Amino acid sequence: MVDAAAGSPVSLQVYRYTQGDSVVRPVIGEIEDDLPQEELVAHASEALTSGTFMCFAVSQADDFVADELCFVPQDDHCDILSIRTNGWQRHHGDHRRSLVEILNNLAAAVACGKLRVLDADQVAAETAAGEQVLHFDIRQSAELTTAREAVDDVLREAGFDDATRKRTTLCISEAVTNMLLHGGGHGGMTLRRLEDRLRVVVADHGPGLNFLNWIEPPKAKGPASMGYGFKIILDYLDAVGLSTGPSGTTLLLDRMTTT
Amino acid sequence: MLQTTIAQGPAPTVFLAGEMDLDCADTLREAVAEAARGAQMVVLDFAGVEFIDSSGTGIFVRLCLDMKSQGTPLLARNLSPAVRGVFEMLRVPELVGEDVFQS
Repeated sequence: MVDAAAGSPVSLQVYRYTQGDSVVRPVIGEIEDDLPQEELVAHASEALTSGTFMCFAVSQADDFVADELCFVPQDDHCDILSIRTNGWQRHHGDHRRSLVEILNNLAAAVACGKLRVLDADQVAAETAAGEQVLHFDIRQSAELTTAREAVDDVLREAGFDDATRKRTTLCISEAVTNMLLHGGGHGGMTLRRLEDRLRVVVADHGPGLNFLNWIEPPKAKGPASMGYGFKIILDYLDAVGLSTGPSGTTLLLDRMTTT
Repeated sequence: MLQTTIAQGPAPTVFLAGEMDLDCADTLREAVAEAARGAQMVVLDFAGVEFIDSSGTGIFVRLCLDMKSQGTPLLARNLSPAVRGVFEMLRVPELVGEDVFQS
């Protein structure tokens, strides 16, 4: 059995092709020297022209579950999600979900428009949109409780039902908990009101999402992996934005106020 | 914050109240360990749980598996629709066994 923590990294990279360009650029991860730029550009152009999501399996000799390359056309650009498993398939049979499955869920969420991967310009614009309603600096989980309750009050005033409020605050808890555990231990949670939605911005200056720490073996009394948290966030929110890199992670958690 | 109250007896019960998140691990483990002394099983009553996230869920799953392997299985009862929804989304019944959940 492959030891995921000791073996080659399992990774998700996101590249972006903008119509008319001759190369793709990185949004999550780096551009490696051996990246087949021409092939990626050709497929991305095709996806944009046809307006169709395309997914390719990239098989390797020692890999039963192939790596995947997904092309997701969006307006004037095409996001390219590269999922590399490097021969790693499933976790050690404990309660964690397969990382490949988690990454596939992420790719599917991008494909269906639920999850947007954001570059630096988009993050700057989206985190400044609308008006700020609440802000908390969070360093420990007791502060998370306070922030969760304050958001719940705003949601109640906005007329959201009990179930929607619970689901929204649950997602905030997942994002902030990830920040406390893996995002450098502290960061900010801001609630903003936009024309058509309430947006919670969870931002840290940690080392960026490391997808390997989603599949660490469970500690005797530790929490679950973040794979669970992302599943909840993607299922329960109306729209999610993600930016992650070596200078930090920003998550936008959106609850629509108009239908 | 999670609060626990223990009712001893032939089927000792730990009544849970409050929030099950990143912070609940020690409180939950200590209460279950105390209730489990000399017992054949321990009941966890979720009626007072107002909030649970994936960290709280993971802690519960880990504890369920540990207690089962030690021969003192847990039974969970009185789950609210919100808690049940999270458990079902995260496939908790598959992970710990359907028999953990009393109807």
